Amino acid sequence: MADEIKPESYEKRLEQEPQENAWDAVRALGQGFWTTFRHLFRRPITEQYPEERRQLPERSRARIVLTRDPDGDERCVACYLCSAVCPVSCISMQSAERSDGRRYAEWFRINFGRCIYCGLCEEACPTSAIQLTPEFDHCRRDILSLVFEKEDLLVDHTGKDKDYNFYRYAGVATRPEEKGTHIKESPPVDVKSNLP
Amino acid sequence: MIDGILGFAVLLVKIAVVLGILLLLAAYLVWMERKLLGRFQVRLGPNRAGIFGLLQPIADALKMVTKEDIVPDQADRLLFLLAPAVVTATALLMFAVVPFGPDLTLMGKIVPMVVSDINVGLLFVFAMSSLGVYGVALGGWASNSKYSLLGGIRGAAQMISYELALGLSLVPVVMLSGSFSLVEIVRAQARIPFVLIQPVSFIIFIIAAMAESKRIPFDLPEAENELGAGYSTEYSGMRFGMFFIGEYVHIQVLGALVAVFFLSGWRGPVLPGPVWLLIKMLAVAMVMIWIRATLPRFRYDQLMEIGWKVLIPVSLINIVATGALMMLF
Amino acid sequence: MPKLIIDDISVAVPEGTKVIEAAEQVGIHIPRFCYHPALGSVGACRVCAVKFLQGPFKGVQMSCMIEAADGMVVSTTDPEAVDFRRHVIEWLMINHPHDCPVCDEGGHCLLQDMTVSGGHGMRRYQGKKRTYLDQDLGPLVQHEMNRCIQCYRCSRFYQEYAGYRDLGVMGIASRVYYGRFGPGTLKSPFSGNLIDICPTGVYTDRPSRYKGRRWDYERTPSVCIHCCLGCRITVNVRYREVVRIEARYSPTVNGHFICDRGRYGFFYASSDRRPRKARSGGAETRPKNARDEAAHRLEEITARHGSGSVAVVGGSRSTLETLAAERRICRQLGWQGPSLFTGTEESAAARRAAGHLTTDLAVSLEALKNADLILVAGADPINEAPMAALAIRQAARNGAHIEVIDPRPVTLPLEYVHRPAGTDKISEILRGLGKPSTEDASGDIQDLAARLDQSRRPVVVCGAGKIASERTVEQAARLARNLRRAGKKAGLFFVMTGANTFAACRMAGDPADLETLLLMIEDGKVRALVVVEADPMSEYPDLARLVDALAKLDLMVVLDCIDTETARAAHVFFPTQTFFETGGTLINNEARIQQARPAFAGGTPISQTGGGSHPPRVFRDDIPGTEALSAGQLLMDIVSALSGGISRSVEEFDGVAPEFSGFDPVEATGERGTWAKLPLRTAAGPDSPQMGGETPIKKGELLLVESVYGTEALSRSSPWLQELESEPALTLHPEDASRWGLQHGDRCELSTEAGALTVPVHTSRSTAPGTLVLPRHRRLRWQVFQHFRSGLDTVRIRKTGGEGA
Repeated sequence: MADEIKPESYEKRLEQEPQENAWDAVRALGQGFWTTFRHLFRRPITEQYPEERRQLPERSRARIVLTRDPDGDERCVACYLCSAVCPVSCISMQSAERSDGRRYAEWFRINFGRCIYCGLCEEACPTSAIQLTPEFDHCRRDILSLVFEKEDLLVDHTGKDKDYNFYRYAGVATRPEEKGTHIKESPPVDVKSNLP
Repeated sequence: MIDGILGFAVLLVKIAVVLGILLLLAAYLVWMERKLLGRFQVRLGPNRAGIFGLLQPIADALKMVTKEDIVPDQADRLLFLLAPAVVTATALLMFAVVPFGPDLTLMGKIVPMVVSDINVGLLFVFAMSSLGVYGVALGGWASNSKYSLLGGIRGAAQMISYELALGLSLVPVVMLSGSFSLVEIVRAQARIPFVLIQPVSFIIFIIAAMAESKRIPFDLPEAENELGAGYSTEYSGMRFGMFFIGEYVHIQVLGALVAVFFLSGWRGPVLPGPVWLLIKMLAVAMVMIWIRATLPRFRYDQLMEIGWKVLIPVSLINIVATGALMMLF
Repeated sequence: MPKLIIDDISVAVPEGTKVIEAAEQVGIHIPRFCYHPALGSVGACRVCAVKFLQGPFKGVQMSCMIEAADGMVVSTTDPEAVDFRRHVIEWLMINHPHDCPVCDEGGHCLLQDMTVSGGHGMRRYQGKKRTYLDQDLGPLVQHEMNRCIQCYRCSRFYQEYAGYRDLGVMGIASRVYYGRFGPGTLKSPFSGNLIDICPTGVYTDRPSRYKGRRWDYERTPSVCIHCCLGCRITVNVRYREVVRIEARYSPTVNGHFICDRGRYGFFYASSDRRPRKARSGGAETRPKNARDEAAHRLEEITARHGSGSVAVVGGSRSTLETLAAERRICRQLGWQGPSLFTGTEESAAARRAAGHLTTDLAVSLEALKNADLILVAGADPINEAPMAALAIRQAARNGAHIEVIDPRPVTLPLEYVHRPAGTDKISEILRGLGKPSTEDASGDIQDLAARLDQSRRPVVVCGAGKIASERTVEQAARLARNLRRAGKKAGLFFVMTGANTFAACRMAGDPADLETLLLMIEDGKVRALVVVEADPMSEYPDLARLVDALAKLDLMVVLDCIDTETARAAHVFFPTQTFFETGGTLINNEARIQQARPAFAGGTPISQTGGGSHPPRVFRDDIPGTEALSAGQLLMDIVSALSGGISRSVEEFDGVAPEFSGFDPVEATGERGTWAKLPLRTAAGPDSPQMGGETPIKKGELLLVESVYGTEALSRSSPWLQELESEPALTLHPEDASRWGLQHGDRCELSTEAGALTVPVHTSRSTAPGTLVLPRHRRLRWQVFQHFRSGLDTVRIRKTGGEGA
């Protein structure tokens, strides 16, 4: 335990610290002032926001959208994972069964007045449905207009994830004839067969 | 009788002009500081209100005036209301003894270009400066908030400590000029500014003056990352604005005092006296802004160490050395 | 008492305890899929592996298959065992689909939890997954076989525990399939438990399909109010709507399971037909106006006709708090009632049953499972109190002899002896059995008497209410007491008519039943009726007479949480809160006091408040639809508006009935698992002298009975249970049927002086001869009889259709 700092050794260390002479101190001070002085003549790097708008990276986190799968169907299956993970509880929804048996969000609501754009919902989403987009400037004067409903959130593209379709992998069939037809699935077993 | 009335009128005019210039300058000093700091940090600084952001001080003033004036329930109301006034008033009063030009002859009468030439001007400056401590300490105490109180205590401790060094650094100046009157001190520098004779005094005075005005690196009383806003935490609206004005008036006063004590005051070639004084004041202010952009805040123990262990002994030695040299030559 | 050491903790357990249970006793939860405390061990899933370091077994073994023995040293955290379990989970997951996001089990899935806690976060298997075709298992259970991990829990519960055969396991090798032979509705009234016991999402709840996740539900422990047993349940509420009911473990009442009537009977609470506004004269009004009007008119009537001209009618689905409020009001204001029963005979039988239940005789459902002989007399457990049937089956599985004496064609999912006997015969048989020596018993019951003599823990399960008469109850109690005197651990278990019938027995005033009260209304003695959470118009057997009587009233005030015919006929109507919103105290058939907490604050469900495709975009500081109060509170409010009225808290019980002096429901129910019983008499009192003789039955009788779905007041409005209802029919013995020229499948008309109804005819040889059985089903206009048991001399039967017609 050579490095353990005890009061006396701390004192010792202070004494052992290289004592700079006055000239070094003045020079260091001068260097500091010279550096700031030089900066006075540099070109400011400020971007003047409303006039200059930079193209943000695709993965920057701002306004949330609900994307569609490559076949054009809603990706969201209303599994509640995003609302569960949301640290500010700004996502609420109601899942329901569509007429064709698919699970979907009857309504889906994000309160952007509360959202902190942390991106946990996107991380939690098992179907790549909920995604954050670079569109960050959507403030409103009326707080209620920041409550987005499903029709405000739903977009007609796949977003960042171009070709994932949850239902091709999930193994859940909405129609009996779909059973065993998904990726990496064998056809339904014949229960009544006696073959080993 | 007529003379008295006339003298009084002239005095009022002088006060009005000085006050007007001081306050206007305080506002634009803020603008200049923000702009310069911006450039030091490779930013633009204010540029939205008017061209180059020149209307920014006006916008800020409007904002300050229209904001709600909050007095905390638990505050000591009277002292709470009084404290900002003390800070601003003492800063403004200090300027009363600063000469800003050669005497003027108006209608056959000599009008001194100073609000009030009192023969103990320098002591008056110190007195006002010491009173300024009350503003900070009372403001901090009356707020009845822990951050304010800590800020107030720090302010009082710091200002009292550095007042000694401030005073001692000026003793050689008084010895050289043989007068406490600021007018006389300027006159004594007709040949050569004291900065060249007394560089040590000059440096000690600048450091102590910055500590007096509570500016970075001496802004411990309002260290925002430890104390919120220190003694002004609980203040809002124009009461906070008065603290603010007080600080920037203080900068000007210190600039003027540096000019008077070390840079031969209003004296200078070609340009008229007041302009020279203005130039010197602004130069000092700019240096202070530059320092703010460069140096980090002191630790409390470092602050006290520099004040008591460095500045005071050095200024004492300086006094003795000056005295000895004056005896020799 | 073997002593063993599990993870350095020493524990002594009873002989025969499995290691997995022993570990649970010291707080170590060993992972399991197939093991279930109620179903026992089967060793199918291999995930409860632990390492045995010392003792009779060595190495990694299944903790659910090995009984604790002396000297065992077990480690659940041994690297070898942990690795074994990790691999087990990985191979169980090989064929499991990636559909957790659309699976309703996700969030409370045992497999999901074990997969995550076992550290199997990423699938390594890249091959093809096995798939199955699913079956339609009816309206309650959704089937998704792909998710199955072959733990056998479902088939073990369904066939072994519950005793139904239509769901099981078939196939061999990796094609093992759990389901029915062909698609079709599950026949068991306990099928909902498949959802609870399935460790993953093969069986999921269909009524709450895709409604939400477990973590979003407000979950509150509560008590089931759909029969007299008071099973413990967990209420799941979301967005002001009761979404799902789950069984809650209770060591003494229901164990791990509940019946489907209790699980799916809750839809009345969130129905869009539930009344939420007070009504006066048929028009909606503010609650305060309705209250003032009711108070004003009650005051007028009492001023003109005396305080005895007002009567309170209640029911057994009210909480103890409401019943106590009714009783206090009637006593203090001199009103009639509260009348808490429908018929005079029912009231007499139920109150006699409650009087006979003594501390030593009353048995819980759990104790019923340990009986070695169960005599069911005048009760139809599967229809009246389904979980009692499940408990009786467990007794039968443990070797008990089950004997049923009932006129109805009772079906139980177990081996039993049925003696079809008319209601008048039941008490005769019981009296015969109750005689001190078996020699006295008449010939046909001698074998039963002998069995009783040999038994050590016999229990008499007796109906007490509409079918079993007061005399039957008396004889059943006497038999049980005699058996106990003979040194047996005999028990007495009454199947009562409603959730809080036991409390109603103690709280009923004078007159105690509606039948007697009707006479007073017809006389003009009673001019105003306050009906609290009761629906005489769909409960009273003679509707025409009731309607005539109600028409004579000056005022009828109805307080109820559901939309009933009585409520629609009321002059002033108040909506009340459901049991889910008020919570409250219930006393079940064995006098066990159980308290439920409010599950939610009430209000119109968000799905009904309407905002187009989404909930309303309005911020408001109140909850819509929360005008309702608890019935007891509302009653107190109305009464306190009367001059000279009383205003006391609903929670006060002092002076209501002798047992309740100083009664505090919270104190009485105690902590979880220690549900206290109402203080009962330690010995039965003298027999009541005024007990009348058995009503002579002329030419047989017609019984109005309960069926598992479609008769109980609250659950009959559940749309999911309505799908399961079998068509209500008149059941009778084939020989009786031939008397009227009827055959199975015919339709016949039953007519009395009060009216007529047409029903299909079912014949069953297990019906007592001379007995006709008709369910009080919501689909029938059955209220044309004078009593729940009517002599056939008052009924005319005529064939109206069928094969012969």
